Amino acid sequence: MPSILPLCTLTPPSASRLWSSHPHPTLPLIATASSDKTVRLYSLASLDLESTITGGHKRSIRSCAWKPSSGVKSGESVLATGSFDASCGVWRRWEQGTGIGKLAKGLEKGKGTEWEGLGAEGEPEEDERDFTRGLAGGAEEEDEDEDEWRFAVILDGHDSEIKSLAFSPTAPLLATCSRDKSVWIWEELEDDNFETVAVLQEHDGDVKCVAWSPVEELLVSGSYDNAIRVWREDVDDWACCGLLEGHSGTVWWVEFEGADRFGKVGAGASDSLSAEQQILLEQRKAAGPRIISCSDDLTIRIWRRVPKEIKEQPTGQGKMPSIWKNRDFEEEWVQECVLPKAHERAVYAVSWSRKTGRVVSTGSDGKVVVYEERWKGGRNGEGDSAMADASAVSGRVEGRKDEATGSSTEWMVVAEVENAHDVFEVNHVVWAPRADKGKIGEDEEVIVTTGDDGEVKVWLLNDD
Amino acid sequence: MSAILSADDLNDFISPGVACIKPVETLPLHKPSPSSNPYEVTTEETVHAENPPPAQISLTDCLACSGCVTSAEAVLVSLQSHSEVLETVGRCRELRPEWLGGAESEGNGMVNGQGDGVQEKIFIASISPQTRASLAATYGVSEREAGYMIDQLLSGPYGLRAGGAHGSGFTWVLDTNVMREACLVAAADEAQQMLDDREAGLKRPVLTSACPGWVCYAEKTHPHVLPHLSKLKSPQAMTGTLVKSVLARKYGIPPEKIWHMAVMPCFDKKLEASRIELTSHAWAGEEAERVRDVDCVITARELLMLAESRNISFPCLPRTPLSKTFRPPFPDPAINRLLFPPTRKPKRSTASFEPSAIGTSDGYLHHILLTQQSRHPSSSIKVHRGRNADVSDYSVLSAEGVEVFRAARYYGFRNIQNLVRRLKPAKVSRMPGATRRPAGGRLRKPAGGGEAEYAYVEVMACPGGCTNGGGQIKVGDVMTLRQGGTGMSNGGDQEIVPAQKEWLARVDEAYWSAESGDEGVDESVDEDGDHDMTNADTSNGLTNVNANGSHANGDGVGDIIDGIDRSRVKAFFDRWAEATGVEYEKLVFTTFRAVESDVGKAKPVGDMERVAGLAVQVGGGW
Repeated sequence: MPSILPLCTLTPPSASRLWSSHPHPTLPLIATASSDKTVRLYSLASLDLESTITGGHKRSIRSCAWKPSSGVKSGESVLATGSFDASCGVWRRWEQGTGIGKLAKGLEKGKGTEWEGLGAEGEPEEDERDFTRGLAGGAEEEDEDEDEWRFAVILDGHDSEIKSLAFSPTAPLLATCSRDKSVWIWEELEDDNFETVAVLQEHDGDVKCVAWSPVEELLVSGSYDNAIRVWREDVDDWACCGLLEGHSGTVWWVEFEGADRFGKVGAGASDSLSAEQQILLEQRKAAGPRIISCSDDLTIRIWRRVPKEIKEQPTGQGKMPSIWKNRDFEEEWVQECVLPKAHERAVYAVSWSRKTGRVVSTGSDGKVVVYEERWKGGRNGEGDSAMADASAVSGRVEGRKDEATGSSTEWMVVAEVENAHDVFEVNHVVWAPRADKGKIGEDEEVIVTTGDDGEVKVWLLNDD
Repeated sequence: MSAILSADDLNDFISPGVACIKPVETLPLHKPSPSSNPYEVTTEETVHAENPPPAQISLTDCLACSGCVTSAEAVLVSLQSHSEVLETVGRCRELRPEWLGGAESEGNGMVNGQGDGVQEKIFIASISPQTRASLAATYGVSEREAGYMIDQLLSGPYGLRAGGAHGSGFTWVLDTNVMREACLVAAADEAQQMLDDREAGLKRPVLTSACPGWVCYAEKTHPHVLPHLSKLKSPQAMTGTLVKSVLARKYGIPPEKIWHMAVMPCFDKKLEASRIELTSHAWAGEEAERVRDVDCVITARELLMLAESRNISFPCLPRTPLSKTFRPPFPDPAINRLLFPPTRKPKRSTASFEPSAIGTSDGYLHHILLTQQSRHPSSSIKVHRGRNADVSDYSVLSAEGVEVFRAARYYGFRNIQNLVRRLKPAKVSRMPGATRRPAGGRLRKPAGGGEAEYAYVEVMACPGGCTNGGGQIKVGDVMTLRQGGTGMSNGGDQEIVPAQKEWLARVDEAYWSAESGDEGVDESVDEDGDHDMTNADTSNGLTNVNANGSHANGDGVGDIIDGIDRSRVKAFFDRWAEATGVEYEKLVFTTFRAVESDVGKAKPVGDMERVAGLAVQVGGGW
């Protein structure tokens, strides 16, 4: 039976509330948005504070987003910050000093991929910087301390607090959402030259969260109006192509399933699957990554797209169709299931592991809960016993089965911990690659929680 | 953009519109007592849980976001609704020109013809071309027929005059296109003036100020662009000034005796009509009572509601021109000739461009480009479509291929964002201490360095321009309307964008059909079968230059540009100033000002006083 074990609290903690933490796409770094108007960058290798971004915003930084590595110059990190001051800042830093140099060192030691060799020793990085200086962006950068975060551009436009922001992994697009009820999409035409390409105003309330699909230019947003909307570019403008209704409270977080995960269940081995299970997986592949959402209504829901069928055009005899619908543009999303109820108060965040497909949630009640999707009926080696174990411990085996699916999988709670941040609310949870000394396997992950107590905590999911 | 608001929605209190961009957070005047913890999330929850006090958004906040008004604005804007039209037309007796003294009579126009104490007013309406296009597309008639139907409704024997306590109707129904031509010529001159004298006057680029949604947004949110705004009045405002100034002077009556209604594609035009800058004080001095130049703005949808309220079936109205007996001549012959041209000539020759080049918003940019082109013999206009259909870039290239003039079109909120951001003066970063390098310079350069090079930008708040205004008939209502009802169910389901686009294309087509004169030049035959005779009238002193001639005159520009006779328009301006004794500048220009929103600030007075104060201020008349 898995359990959630505390690994450590990143040091030093902040004196004020922390909102959310966002792992760097390649380096063992995590950026934590703080209500003291700063971003704290912690090393997941040394588990210490590595640097701080200050001086940019006038109010709380609510969220931040790393530009995907595909979109940046090699060796540079780009971080966008979304603040309650209604602006979004973009920051840059050359990582040669900390990244490439360390990488070289890490590789020497045979430690593998880019970020893994980094900083576990907690050494000062001065030595490495010199031999990479030549790569660090040319003469005009000479006077700059390369370790330093450089403010690059500020994006104004929102009328109120920015709640969340996200870079598209498939296109040079940044989405921001705000208490002004709008979602903005910005295109980066060239470095730091952003243009507003869309202002989407269909939500009736504060927009809490935005997230991009990992495989296509598809954006999802969750709002105080209890709705989730899916957005896509039509002929000339972005528009809402899907409305996901079901939550009865604020939707605090939405997220897509990982690109490598959809079409898999559990460990993903497909050799011993029944025909029925094979069909389900095929259907999921056709539908694309699912969406997960969590809400003030205490539920966590999973939504899936209904794959398009080719339909004949209605053949009206010169009549104006009574309902004007563009079936090519609209998407139909259905609720696939509700995860087993584990929270007693609002669920603020969920994170869907890109590696294992597990989901971790947290919220106002201070709990951290891990869920897993399994085949029903104990096939595929997962076994009835595992289910029974889980049920014995959690007492909550399965979520509400949804008619829409007739699914042959079910979600169950596999582990949970209470009072993760003592008596404080936990604002955010995310899976991150493990990078500290204790790391065992390549794909090992940690759970990172961010709380009102100013602490960022790292947890291990012990599978024993 | 303000598609949500309609007079139907107006009641004593309206919560912020669905897409209101005003921060509600600053509104509560009292902190929720139990939770003194300034936990940002919690505060919001509590605010929403307790019934918040009505959002206070001042009149000068814009509707551009999508239409949110509150009690004060609701009262003011509800003064401009179809029911207000009904009430006024029903209550007041129509003041017919024939009852008034002749031109320039001294003061005796005040005499009540019947002596029974019933208020009397001259009723006059002006109709935007976009409204006609919307109705034309709705009922499958031509744009011109739609115009005739509106004339019939407002002035004709089967229209408003068939009912009401006094059988009152509108004495004149004008086409705002007439004043639009004047606006276009003045706009071209204004742009040229900016080029000639870079020190004085407007900042480059000049930005269109005819869209009230855009103007309000700029005044509220981006004061730095105000020095760029064209000082010209919009066609609605200029028409208002024209009718009030000329009629008041000619009949010797105070302007409040003249009731001017405009039918517009856009709800924000109601707010424009409420602007303090657009009242009689601007042109008649401040001694007399302040009277608005436009008393009431309604939209196409409200026009249909107006008809329905009087049990008039709009689609059943005659699609023929109204007999002359219902339209006395405007008291100034020269202006009469301008307002009611003898034949509807094709406004614009489309030989060298697609009608869509005019755009859907009165064609400011197009006219300015053609004016610039005429200044440079053998020059050509190059169009470069921007990243979406609502942005384009235009260059006038000399015969040698050198760019002599650059302009652009920016429609829609998302594109306006990019424009205002780039017009922002370079300043030290808001992020001090973040870097040793100032944020300007290298990091802030605009894409292609374009915006500062523009001499003129046509800016409209609505994507797709004015034919897509919030007051236009919604595609969801069309079927019901055609079946006879008015189907005003607040637009129905408007979520499906592509359908709306297809519908828009039809409205645009109707709009351009009028622009390009595709309907052909008609010998307009009125109901009585008489041919229009006005073209024989040459006694008005305005020279009618051969429409094909393009001889250069003093200002180095051809006379006929874009189908508009410049010298005729200039003669009109002179005539107008002469007839009213008011300077040209006071008649055609207006001003803009940065607006401090009073949202969230301590209210000095109670709601009622504030509403009353505002109403008095703008001549709301209650």
